[in-house]
This record gives sequence, C-alpha cells and structure tokens, in this order.
Amino acid sequence: MRVLHSMRYVTQRGVRGMAQAPLVQLLAVATIAVCMLLLGCVLLVWQNARSIADRWGVDVPVTAYLVDDVPADRVAALVERIAALPQVERVDVITPELAMTRLVEGLGDDPTLVAGIDPSVLPTSLEVMMPPAEAATAETLAAELAAEPDVEDVVAAGTWVARAQALLETLRSIALGAAALVGFACLTIVWSTIRLAVYARRAEIQILRLVGGTPSFVHGPFVVEGFVQGALGAGLAVTLLYFGFDAVEPLLADAFALAFAAGGLRFLSPLECAAVVGFGAALGVLGSRAAVARYVET
Amino acid sequence: MPILEFSGVTMSYGNGAAGSRGRTAALKDVSFVTDEGSFVLLTGPSGAGKSTLLKLVLASERPDAGTIRVADRDIHRLRKSSIPYLRRNVGAVFQDFKLLPDASPLENVALALQVLGLPPAEVDLRARRALTDVELDPNTRRSSRCLSGGEQQRVAIARALAGDPAILLADEPTGNLDPRLSREILDLLQAVRARGTTVVIATHDPLVFEHVEASQILTLAYGRLVADTAAVAPMPADAPAGMPSAVSIADTMSGAGPIGAVA
Ligand SMILES: Nc1ncnc2c1ncn2[C@@H]1O[C@H](COP(=O)(O)OP(=O)(O)O)[C@@H](O)[C@H]1O
Ligand SMILES: [Mg+2]
Repeated sequence: MRVLHSMRYVTQRGVRGMAQAPLVQLLAVATIAVCMLLLGCVLLVWQNARSIADRWGVDVPVTAYLVDDVPADRVAALVERIAALPQVERVDVITPELAMTRLVEGLGDDPTLVAGIDPSVLPTSLEVMMPPAEAATAETLAAELAAEPDVEDVVAAGTWVARAQALLETLRSIALGAAALVGFACLTIVWSTIRLAVYARRAEIQILRLVGGTPSFVHGPFVVEGFVQGALGAGLAVTLLYFGFDAVEPLLADAFALAFAAGGLRFLSPLECAAVVGFGAALGVLGSRAAVARYVET
Repeated sequence: MPILEFSGVTMSYGNGAAGSRGRTAALKDVSFVTDEGSFVLLTGPSGAGKSTLLKLVLASERPDAGTIRVADRDIHRLRKSSIPYLRRNVGAVFQDFKLLPDASPLENVALALQVLGLPPAEVDLRARRALTDVELDPNTRRSSRCLSGGEQQRVAIARALAGDPAILLADEPTGNLDPRLSREILDLLQAVRARGTTVVIATHDPLVFEHVEASQILTLAYGRLVADTAAVAPMPADAPAGMPSAVSIADTMSGAGPIGAVA
C-alpha cells in the first residue's frame, strides 16, 4: 500500500514538474519525435522490402513444376538426386494441398476467390534451396532440371536473388544503425533536459532528502518525466508516420504497381508500433536515470 | 535512556584527507550524552560548530572520527539506504527554513508525510493537525514566500513535527524573530518537549536562556565542547573548571567575550 501511495506522489510531482516548464517538454518531445520518425521510416522501408521479397519468393532460387501424376516413388528419387548436387542445400516438395494452403493464405483477405479451386489442378513442385553464395549458379541448375522428363517447367529466380538478398542485408544494417543513432540522440536529449530540470528543482530535491525521502522517491519524478518525454515523442512519431504513409502509399502503389501486385505496401504492425513507443519510453527512463544519478548530494 | 550520544567526534570541512591542511576543523573531539525527553541548548559564538553538530545528527555530514549514536544506533555505520529512515525519526528546523517558496504551508508540511508513503487522506489530516498545533491556519492558500519570518518558522516546525519524530533539532529558531515572536516560538518548542519529544536548539540568543528551562546546556567554542551541564565526568583539561549555569553562559553570549572567561 505504501509503495502505491509513494508511486502516486512521485507521479504527481513528476507531472507538476513538467507543467512548470511546458516549453522545455514540448521541445524535448518534438526533437525525440523527429529522431524516432527517422527510425520509423527506415523500419518501414526495411519491413516492406522484406515482405515484397517474401511474396516474390526471393528465398527460393529454383522452382521445378512437375508434369501431372508423377508416382510418389519417382518424385522421391528425383528429390534425392537433386539434393545430392553439391550446390543444393535442400529440396522441398510442395504438394497440391500445400500449394492450395499457400494460395489461401496469400489471398487471405478474400477466401471466396479460391473457394472453387480444386487442389488437384495445381501441380506438384520442387523448391530447390541454395546457399546465397551459390545463387549465381541457379540458371545452370534450372537448365539441368528442365531436361528431366518429369519436369514440366522450371522457374529460376536467377542472380537477382543474390542482389535482392544483399539489398535486404544492407537495409537491415541501415535499420540497426539508425536505431543506434536515434537511441543515442534521444538519450542525449532526455539527459540534458532532465539535468536542467534537476538543477531548477535542486532546492526541492534537498528538502525531500532532508525530510527523509528515499532516493527513488526523490528521483522518481524525474524518471517519470523522462519516461513521458520518450513515450510521447515516439508515439507522436508513429502517429505522424502513419498519416504520412497514408498520404504517400497510393502514389507509390501506382508507380510500382507490378512490384506490389501481390498485396501492396503495409504499415508497421501494432506490435511494431508498440515496440517503437516502448523503445522511446525505455530511452527516456535510461536518460533520466543517468541524469539524476550524476546528481549526488546528501 | 540516552537518545543522543557523541563520543570523540571530530569533523572538518573541505577537500583532502581528514586532518590535512586546507580543511577547516569545525568540531574537535566532542563527547556528550543526552537523555530522552531532554530540552538541550547548544550554544557558543558564531562559527563554534553548532550547525555542524546538528548536520552530523541528520547524517548530512560525516564525522572524520568518533561515533554518533541516535536511539542507540551508530548512524554513520548505517547503510546509505537507511539514512532516509533516520531522518524521518529526527525532525529538523533549519536556520533558513528550507521551505518550498511556491507551495502553501499545507503542501510544505505534507511533503514530510508523503515521504512516509501515507495515504493522501491521512497526509492531509496530519498536515492540518500539525499546522493547527503551531497555531497556523491550514487553509491559507498563500505561498510560503508571502509569509512573515515567524510564520515561516512555524511552518518549518510543523513540518519537522508532522511525522512524529523522536528528536526535534532547531537551528537558531529565534534568529530572525523579534522578542515577542521569539517567546511564542520558544513556548511552542517547550510544549513539544512536554509531549515527550527530545528538543535540541542551537542558539546564541540570550533571550532563549532567559525564557527556556533547559535540562542540558552544551557550550561549544572553536569546535570544542567546553561545558556540558549534564556531564558527570570531569571536563577536558582545557575546559573551564566548574559547571557554568545557564545564566552565566547567557551573559557570556551577550557579552560576546571568550568562553574561557566564564570561570
Ligand atoms: N559548508 C561549509 N564548508 C566549509 N566550512 C564550513 C561549512 N559550514 C561551516 N563551516 C565552518 O565550520 C565552522 C563551524 O561552523 P558552524 O557549524 O556553522 O558554526 P555555528 O553554527 O556555531 O555558527 C566555521 O568555521 C565555519 O566557517
Ligand atoms: Mg549556525
């Protein structure tokens, strides 16, 4: 009970402290929002690149569609033979049923589209996985597979698979780099704002200590302040990003209609949005804790 | 029952190692014992070390040597995290009051109860009672900076007493007050003592000695304890022989002569 009451007083003092310097709060929140907006943009691009790559099957270098009604033992023998090739990592058999399931998932929004399809009209296919280093040999492998009697058609993703994967790697590095940079910037913003707040309210801090306030009681309001700044800044960034995305998405969808044919661009998932806000809040807490920890006095 | 015990306490200000040059010695080898429920006057000229002694009791300064026991606990052996709990048991009225200037008297007193984690309704009730006890209106919405010196002093006393501490420390409580207000404050402090709280006043105001019936008078000069009316053991060699009475000390104070002249 005492802890609850203490938390309530700490929060009240934190809010009152923020109200004493609203302009500083506004500035801190706005600056954090700008930083987090940058991070959000990078995340958005990376996420969409990943899901487009997924939809285009970038991760499957060679797909071989079999002729109808190949007996299971011949399929197994073929799989074994391909899997034994040195440049092949793994071979997955996609049965008509599995293909159907994937189709339903892919068209998730409108199951009526597939309602009339009989799985048996879909061909069995083999997905040949290769390590990224071997991706350049996909075309050669495709030609070899096309010569197999049971194979009707072969689709090779070709060398652009390797390039797409490299691009994804780069985007991932940029996203991580942006997260680190933005993290550092937000920490610095919160740290310096809270330092100023601590300085402005040093008399209050001294009094609270002298009447027997524990360190967490005395420092708590500043941590609350940092938490609110970080969470508000990140929340504002996610909101701006959402409306920005809404405005820009139709334009992009027109320009790159082909690339998005399989399902358009998507915004960050609710979980990812929550993670961005949580990241901001955590940075706020860390920054303010660092700022008050440096202020030692008995 | 002793509630406050100093033995061989030495304390100096400044940077550098204890005892090195560049440090101002504020207290030298101070030893005394105060019983529970006493009314103690801590006296001596300006710069004698009175405020320093009070700060040591609050653990806001640390001694270079010696031990300080409050309610039988060595307070400088306490873990840092225990210091807040010591302070809740030792109410302090500071010379400069240390009130939040923009907060009302009620809010100022409430702070000392909020740190205890009491529910809001109880904080409000006890803060109001503490203010009524010092004859202030709990409903006033004036900020503390608009109060007179005497009123601020009362708020500070109310805050120090709100948490029901075992000891009340007051540093120069009549320092900024005219004689009439001084007497009122001293009456208030005597009433506090009558309720069983140990009261320690640091003062060099002669009026205090005339008005107050002290149970112990500690006299400091240049950081040394030169007289202790409650001491049973003989004083150190450099202290004046015999126990000075309250009146003779008051004379010394008003005359501002060297303490050594008392004998
Ligand atoms: N914060 C401080 N830093 C350095 N010296 C101090 C400090 N506080 C007090 N002193 C010195 O310690 C001595 C005792 O001071 P103090 O305890 O304030 O005396 P009193 O309260 O009896 O007037 C004085 O010489 C004073 O100058
Ligand atoms: Mg003093």
